[in-house]
Amino acid sequence: MKQAKNILEVRNIHKDFSGLQVLTGVDFTVAENEKHAVIGPNGAGKTTLFNIITGNYKPSSGKIIFKETDVTGKPPHILTRMNMSRSFQITNVFPEMSVFENVRAGVRSRQGLRYNFLKRPERVAGINQKTEDILEQVGLTDVMSEPVSALSYGRQRALEIGITLSTEPELILLDEPTAGMTREETAEAIRMINEVTTGRTLIIIEHDMDVVFSLADTISVLHYGTILASDKPDEIRNDQKVKDAYLGEE
Amino acid sequence: MDKKQYTNFGIWGIFILLMGFVVPVFFPAYRVILVTEAIIFSLFAISYNLLLGYAGLLSFGHAMFFGTGAYVTAIALGHIEGLPILGAVFIAILATTATGFIIGSLLLRHKGSYFALLTLAFNALFYVIATKWHSITGGDDGLSVTRPDLSLGFTTLNMSDITTFYYFTLIIVGLAILFCWYFTKTAMGRTVLLIRENEERMKFLGYNTNISRLYLFTFTGALAGFAGSFYALFFQFTSITAISIDMGTAALLMAFIGGTGTFIGPILGAFVYIFLQDFLSDFTDRWPLIMGLIFILMVLYIPGGLSGLFLSIKERLSGRRAATGQTETEGQNR
Amino acid sequence: MSDIPVFFLHGLAYAGLLFLVSSGLTLVFGMMNVLNFAHAAFYMLGAYFSYTVLRITGNFWLSIIICPILLFLIGALVERFLLRRVHAFGHLHELLLTFGLAYIITESVKWIWGNYPLAVSIGGFLSGQVDLFGLTYPIYRLFILLCAVIVGLIMCFVIYKTKVGVIVRAAVNDSEMVNALGINVSSVFMNVFAAGAALSGFAGVIAGPLLTTYPNMANEILIDAFVVIVVGGFGSLGGALLASLIIGELQSFGVLLIPKLSMALIYMLMAAVLVIKPSGLFGEE
Repeated sequence: MKQAKNILEVRNIHKDFSGLQVLTGVDFTVAENEKHAVIGPNGAGKTTLFNIITGNYKPSSGKIIFKETDVTGKPPHILTRMNMSRSFQITNVFPEMSVFENVRAGVRSRQGLRYNFLKRPERVAGINQKTEDILEQVGLTDVMSEPVSALSYGRQRALEIGITLSTEPELILLDEPTAGMTREETAEAIRMINEVTTGRTLIIIEHDMDVVFSLADTISVLHYGTILASDKPDEIRNDQKVKDAYLGEE
Repeated sequence: MDKKQYTNFGIWGIFILLMGFVVPVFFPAYRVILVTEAIIFSLFAISYNLLLGYAGLLSFGHAMFFGTGAYVTAIALGHIEGLPILGAVFIAILATTATGFIIGSLLLRHKGSYFALLTLAFNALFYVIATKWHSITGGDDGLSVTRPDLSLGFTTLNMSDITTFYYFTLIIVGLAILFCWYFTKTAMGRTVLLIRENEERMKFLGYNTNISRLYLFTFTGALAGFAGSFYALFFQFTSITAISIDMGTAALLMAFIGGTGTFIGPILGAFVYIFLQDFLSDFTDRWPLIMGLIFILMVLYIPGGLSGLFLSIKERLSGRRAATGQTETEGQNR
Repeated sequence: MSDIPVFFLHGLAYAGLLFLVSSGLTLVFGMMNVLNFAHAAFYMLGAYFSYTVLRITGNFWLSIIICPILLFLIGALVERFLLRRVHAFGHLHELLLTFGLAYIITESVKWIWGNYPLAVSIGGFLSGQVDLFGLTYPIYRLFILLCAVIVGLIMCFVIYKTKVGVIVRAAVNDSEMVNALGINVSSVFMNVFAAGAALSGFAGVIAGPLLTTYPNMANEILIDAFVVIVVGGFGSLGGALLASLIIGELQSFGVLLIPKLSMALIYMLMAAVLVIKPSGLFGEE
């Protein structure tokens, strides 16, 4: 079967923290425009895997190939400039800044306006417009001049995604975007994620199985440091190993 | 925090500059000299606060740039025949930019305590060099500086005149201070604040935070060198005092007393420091002790400094809940 | 070159003092994440207190006991009533506080004892000379070395063999974990901070008769102790020991070999370590 081009290849990744083995050989690939969910019990190493893919940690061994380039051990800012972007499980924003400034930080970074000593970001064409567009997408237009600390939890989670989008990524990694949300908030968040990731590749860590099976076209099951199965949702649902190890426990 | 507050500070800045122009009309020469000194130290304290208040970096080594600026000015004027006064200032800025870049490259990975410790140690190195390299720096004897007159083409300004030098300082150093204020609004100025607030996220937005710190360190070093150059011109003398750790401490005290949370705080602090020092030293030799006590009390009870205090009083008066430190540099350094 | 053993011993004696000062500094830093700028001011207070005790009683042994106790009390008070207070304001304020304290202590010392060097003489057999492998050597420097070794051994015993030591080591590695274990960390912090102050004061007492007692002595040893920490690695006792030895000898032989550059040598070492291994010889990445 002819596959779409792979945007990301994770090859035999191992990671241990001073003797504690968290990942023991993780392999999977993500095709362009795929919606890929990573599931697994707590402590399976999902967030560690994200941290390795995005350059936050260096793997103990193994390779990360992003857009056909070996990016193993490259720092986060380089990977971001290669159009990879991530969100965090625990909201990781700029709490004292305005919502607008939070998103603008990524927008101007994409346009190369990072360390300019002379230009004011608001005077550079397109930055304000782009920032407003993203705020519109994540539904935060009405609070854009508020400081983040004044926002409700649900809206801070939306901002988390807005910041992730601000660098115009091709590959988006979302780490439990709906964690701590009510049912209605979750439904709204999933609708929004579906919308904003159209035409991009998504890797998502998620616990809510309804969300996973409605959103993803491929699911990888991470179990105690290794990938148990990586396949289409229906195959995963019927996989005996997965049932035994994980789904059956629900 | 919001745009309005910035504009307010801008208006204040212009108002203060206008006030500056009438100082020699109303005050005796003695006061004019003190104000000249306070303006120079304002730039020094502002450059310091761009590190402390804006980037959250505590440096004990800011005097290495201030002192280098002062020494380079003295040496340049002493060795280059007919060097114009602004030429000497320019050379000093170039030299401190280079110094800042080299020292900054060694420091760029470090923050917090480690940064504080290393800046102190490097300043000690500069101090040793200034003391020991007698043939260039004059060692303990220092170097005297002759202020060249400023030729404007149609006329020549006599820089040994107190009022003329005052206006010269006000305009040139004032422009540098205005540029610092503008800097806080530029892309880089915002980046510095964002990195202090959440460095990890900035990395994931494509920012190389180490490089950013290096640029800022170099920039503030150049500004301190700028101030140091005027310090040498002002005293017409450069000694190891200019490059001692105590000189960096003075910048810290000024910035902190004035308030690290606002742009004008360090200016306020510099004026309070210079005038308080002048006033107290008439009565007692113990003014550094008094300054130290004021500092400790402020660390314990008024961490926002004088400008933070004014802001919270103002907010309380206007009925709003005092958001302590919710000022220009987005809150205190937590 | 019969000077070499003499300079080597000189270097060891200074290394002993440096280790006494920097070990407390590095332990407090490792545990509480507070770089104590007042640490060397405690050292200076030790020397000045000792000067006064000697003036009154003339008994050096008495001052070796009294002064560290005084500094333990001062350290405990500083931690309990000042440092803990600003802890909530964050890291930067803790640094500023200890720095402000150092500043005030230095200015107070100038006020009380005067801004000039004081001579501390101890008399007795300690001020004598001894024949050592065919050369005469001042007993006092050997005494300093002995003190440093004894204190170092006691410290090792406490840290590696007692329950308190286990807590201290755990706190250096991961203070949150110790918190989670429900140990009364704040009392441990206070005692370690105070013990560090006492150690530093002890170093000051024994440094007094060797080096001059004057208001800049704090700054000088503080910078050397900082270099020790940078070279040895933050929070590492072994690193502090090794780096103290290197810097003590470097200082000593620097004066002998290249007197003009001797003071700059240790900074060059520091810069080299920063370039080659930024976390220090014993530091973790």
